[in-house]
Order: sequence, then C-alpha cells, then structure tokens
Amino acid sequence: MPVLETPPLVHETVVSDRREPFSDIVIIGLYAPKIAREARPGQFVMAVTPSGERVATALGIYEAAGDRISLMLVVVGPRTRELALLERGDRLVLAGPLGNGFQLQALGKNVALIAGGVGLASLLLPAQRLLADGARVHLYYGARTAGALVDAELFEAAGAGVSLATDDGSRGHHGYVTELLAREGRTHETIAACGPSPMLRAVGTLARTLGVRAQVSLEETFACGVGACWGCVVPLERSSAQAPAFPPVAPGETRDYVHARICKEGPVFWSDELRW
Amino acid sequence: MVTKAAEPDISARLGGLRLSVPTLMGSGCYGSGEEYASLVDLAQLGGVVLKSVTRLPRLGNDAPRLVPVASGLLNAIGLQNPGIESYLASDVAKFADRPCAVVGSVAGFSVDDYAFVTERLAARDEIDAIELNISCPNVGAEGETFACDPDLAERATRAARAATAKPLIVKLSPNVTDIAAIARVVEAAGADALAVINTVRGMAIDVDRVKPKLANVSGGLSGAAIRPIAVLAVWEVARAVRIPIVGQGGIETARDALEFVLAGATAVSIGTGNFTDPRVPLAVASGIRTYLAERGIATLAEIVGSANPGFRGAR
Ligand SMILES: Cc1cc2nc3c(=O)[nH]c(=O)nc-3n(C[C@H](O)[C@H](O)[C@H](O)COP(=O)(O)OP(=O)(O)OC[C@H]3O[C@@H](n4cnc5c(N)ncnc54)[C@H](O)[C@@H]3O)c2cc1C
Ligand SMILES: Cc1cc2nc3c(=O)[nH]c(=O)nc-3n(C[C@H](O)[C@H](O)[C@H](O)COP(=O)(O)O)c2cc1C
Ligand code: FES
Repeated sequence: MPVLETPPLVHETVVSDRREPFSDIVIIGLYAPKIAREARPGQFVMAVTPSGERVATALGIYEAAGDRISLMLVVVGPRTRELALLERGDRLVLAGPLGNGFQLQALGKNVALIAGGVGLASLLLPAQRLLADGARVHLYYGARTAGALVDAELFEAAGAGVSLATDDGSRGHHGYVTELLAREGRTHETIAACGPSPMLRAVGTLARTLGVRAQVSLEETFACGVGACWGCVVPLERSSAQAPAFPPVAPGETRDYVHARICKEGPVFWSDELRW
Repeated sequence: MVTKAAEPDISARLGGLRLSVPTLMGSGCYGSGEEYASLVDLAQLGGVVLKSVTRLPRLGNDAPRLVPVASGLLNAIGLQNPGIESYLASDVAKFADRPCAVVGSVAGFSVDDYAFVTERLAARDEIDAIELNISCPNVGAEGETFACDPDLAERATRAARAATAKPLIVKLSPNVTDIAAIARVVEAAGADALAVINTVRGMAIDVDRVKPKLANVSGGLSGAAIRPIAVLAVWEVARAVRIPIVGQGGIETARDALEFVLAGATAVSIGTGNFTDPRVPLAVASGIRTYLAERGIATLAEIVGSANPGFRGAR
C-alpha cells in the first residue's frame, strides 16, 4: 500500500517495549512522541486492529512521558487478544488523543481514585498530575484476583496512597473496591473513577452517600471514537454542562434526559449527572 | 524526458452531482464530516452523506447501540437527530465550508414526512444533494416499510422528487426478496441515483446474561460481513436500471470498492470502514487511481459495470 499522508491525530507508532505482569494483562510501550506530548489525563486513543478485521479499539492512555506512551491491555475478546500479541518493533496505528479527560481542577486537593481492573489505565496520568499539582491522592484498586492487581507500585512511586481489594480475597479487602473505600473511612473531597459500568454505578451511589462528587470515566463500546456515529451514548441530565445541544423532544417521548456521546462529550462525566 | 502519464480521472457523476473522488462517507457513520476533520483531510473525500434527519426530534434508542461482531458491526442508533427545524437553525450553516460534497439524508415515517423534510433541507445552499433513507432498520416496523414495499417506495420517491430539483439519491434496503424490482419503481418515480445497500438486519445474544446484546434487540449489520450481499445487490440493480448506483457495504480497500464498480456502481460509499481505520477512504481513492493507471485506463467511468454483462447504465 502506498504511504499515506496522515492528518494531525492519526499516528503510526512503533512498539518499543512490552511486558506481561499477569496472564492476559499486557502493557505495550510505544514510540509516539506527539501523543505523549499532547495527552491530557483521562484521554484515550483508538487503536487500529493490525489485521484490519474489526473496528478499532478504544484504549486509555496509560503512561505518557518523553516520546513514549503505553497502553494497558486486558484480553477480553478478539481485538484485545490481537493487540496483546504485538511485539517490540511492530507498528500500530493510533488515532488520538481523543475525548475530554478528567476535570482535574474540579477534583480539588484530596482525591480518591477508584480503579476497577483495566480502569487503572485511565488513572495513572490523573494521579501523577494531581500529585504534581500538590493534591493528596489515594488509590482504591480492585481486581478479580491478586495477580491481576498490577502496577500499584507506579502509583505509590508517584506519591499516592494505595488500598487494594480482590473479588476472591487473595489480596487486600475481600470484595468490592467501593466497600473498601466506605470501610477505610478516609475522607476525600472528590472521587475520580474508571472501571466497568456496574462498579461506576456503585461509585455513584457511594459518592451520594458520602456527600462528595465523583467523576467517572466510562468504558462502553465505541465505533468511531470521534462523535460521528452516536453509537456510544449514555443518558445525561439536560442541565449538565456536558449535555449536547438538543431541542425539546416530540410529544409522546417520556425520556426527559439527553443522550451524550461517551467518546465526545466524555468519556468522563460527573456521576450525579448521569441517568443510568 | 519521459512525460508522466496523466493521473486517471476518478471523478463520478450522480445525476447533477459531480464528485471529484468517487467516495461518499456513509450516512450516520461520519457525522457532518467535522467530527472526522482532525483525522482525515476532508478535501480528499468525494463527499459526506449527513446523518439522517427526520421531521421531529428523536432521542434514538437506548444504549447499548453497538455490538462489534466478526468482520463487522451491529448498530441500532434509532435515528437520533434534532429534527429538521432545529437542524436548519443550528447545524446546516456549519456545512458551508466543507471542502467536499455535502449530501443531506432524509428519513421519515410517512410520505408527507419525506416531502416536507426534503423540501426544507434541499432549499439550503449548503446541501448539494439529497439522499432518501427509506431503509432504516432500527426504528420499529415503520422505518423500513418504505424500502420493502414497492408502492410506498414509489410514493416516497415521487414526493421527494416533487420537493426538490437537486440530485436525489434513494437508499435501498437489502432486506427484500427482489431489490431490482424496488429499484425499477424508484427509478421510474424520478430518482437520480440509488444507494445500494443499507444495513442487513441482524442480532446478537449475550449467552452469559441470556439476553439480546442490543437494547433495541435487533440492529443493522454493516462492514465486511455484508460485502458479498451488497455486491450482488449492486449487480442485480445494475441490470435493472439506467441511473447511477452508489455501491456500499463493507468497503475497506480499493479492491473492495472496485468489486462494486465492476458490478455496476458509479461511486461508492464508506461507512464502517472508517471505524476500522480512518485512512480507509484515502487508501480507496489512491488504490483506484493505481489500478487504473496500471492498466492504462483513463477514467473510472470506463470500467463501471464491466464485469456485469447485463449492465444497463450509461458509462
Ligand atoms: C474510553 C475507553 C477506554 C478504554 N480503555 C481500555 C484500556 O486501557 N485497556 C483495555 O484493555 N480496554 C479498554 N477499554 C475497553 C475496550 O475498548 C473494550 O473492552 C473492547 O471491547 C475490547 O475489544 P475486544 O474485541 O477484545 O472484546 P469484545 O469482543 O468487544 O468484548 C469482550 C467482552 O466484553 C463484553 N462487552 C463488550 N462490550 C460490552 C458492553 N457494552 N456491555 C456489556 N458487555 C460488553 C463482551 O460481551 C465480551 O464478553 C476502554 C474502553 C473505553 C470506551
Ligand atoms: C452506526 C451506523 C449508523 C448509521 N446510520 C445511518 C443513517 O442514519 N442513515 C442511513 O441512511 N444509513 C445509516 N447507516 C448505514 C450506512 O450509511 C451504510 O449504508 C451501511 O452501514 C453499509 O455500509 P458500510 O458497511 O460501509 O458501513 C448507518 C450505519 C452505521 C454503522
Ligand atoms: S463511538 Fe461514534 S459517537 Fe462515540
């Protein structure tokens, strides 16, 4: 195929390093200077599947420093399986950075980060930035089993406190990470969370109980990743600052919210503005 | 000095609509173009078919609306759109600066809807042509009825034809027994071109949760999985009508696009391919140029339908 000119946000990156801290969890480092420079905490990329046989995959930007970024892959299906096979020297086409990240200013100076599984990938850059800006940060990190709790030490190295939970009790609290936060009784000004939807709903409920606000980064299925297809929507309060403009709907419509695109208006939303 | 052979001419004509490059971006897949502007130089596209708009605002289907499947995608967006009045007031003016053709897409639930929305939208200078989406599979029974019933397809087309003199493309559904028969009545009703095909109905079930994966239960299948279905549909329609065809369904490479052209499509449309890799439209255009140049063919138009002995269209 001829060499194609690529506009600003499409990048041909090269795998610079790869590690597999646990079975089916792979972290690939990439030479991607532009993304490394421009990524804001909580943004994502769309990774073109090397075989070209499926739509691109949304992945959080895990690390970004110098000319290098990294992506954390948890193998759950065909695309993550294929991406996890990439080796040093392989090429990977990425579109990004995309989406609105966390609103760090609004998180304040004492922040609880809550990560479920691969949700950790979208929280390292926010943690580093918050700490650099003088905030106190504590990570509550849950996974199915001890081995799957990878890289907590990167957060500790950055200066965050860390508490762990596992579904099978093999390390840390036996149970949900949201229970852990409730149980440890540390107080925080705000919460920032990323993980599977059921966990994020629980975070929303917990935040309400604790009387603090939470920013949650959603992980639903994307197609375009740039707001073009309206495939990735979540119900959002009309009054939200992130709500896309939408006229009052037709008579007979009972839903009083709007649909926001997770890839475009999000992926981070205030949990108390979601209607899910 | 060797003079370089002239670049092959890959422009395409759909009635009065001239595309410098034979690639349209499929309705509902490319927003208004602006969404992709940071990933793709829009000047290298033939045009963008806008997201379908209806008479009244529609919130669309509940989530989840997408399921990636082998070689494709199931979607059930449900025609989310702000409705024609708000669209005209707030959105259409922004399309003026697109460096490629802008085709408005009209969906409806009655013949009158099609006439009304077509007239309102086509009246705007920013809109170069109208595509009539009579084939949306994701809005309950009503949406697709128009593409599946020759009488309704004819009436919707006739109504839209009467509402505008701009080029009118009518988009057909593959979910019919005889697509050529529908194509014939739509041609007779005044369409300038046909878009072939919209998505194929399908569904997927989550076996762990024991329920359909899409909130809407069923959806439209797109992507490489439907390409052979789409190529055959173009082949059959090209033997039935003389008006140009915009071939679509799973185009990801120039060779995919050429299958449609050789079957009888004058231009192609790319939807899901953009989700696989946003550079697909650029690769398709450059690959078509290379194919023609390698064979010493001067224009794309010359090879339209050339694999199809029954091709009736004008080249
Ligand atoms: C903003 C964002 C950031 C992300 N960051 C990362 C990341 O850093 N690392 C990472 O590994 N993944 C990340 N993901 C998730 C990743 O994009 C998806 O898991 C993707 O679907 C994987 O593709 P796959 O082909 O491997 O699996 P798929 O076949 O797509 O799905 C695998 C499994 O997940 C289930 N599933 C998929 N989508 C849904 C859904 N909507 N509802 C219920 N079940 C579903 C499927 O049923 C299946 O069991 C992110 C997603 C988003 C939106
Ligand atoms: C997410 C999505 C949304 C779509 N929305 C519309 C739409 O609003 N109107 C329409 O006429 N077609 C719509 N389509 C159909 C596409 O325009 C195209 O005809 C079809 O997907 C087949 O082409 P493809 O395989 O290249 O995507 C949609 C397709 C997808 C995948
Ligand atoms: S994935 Fe297309 S709008 Fe979000």
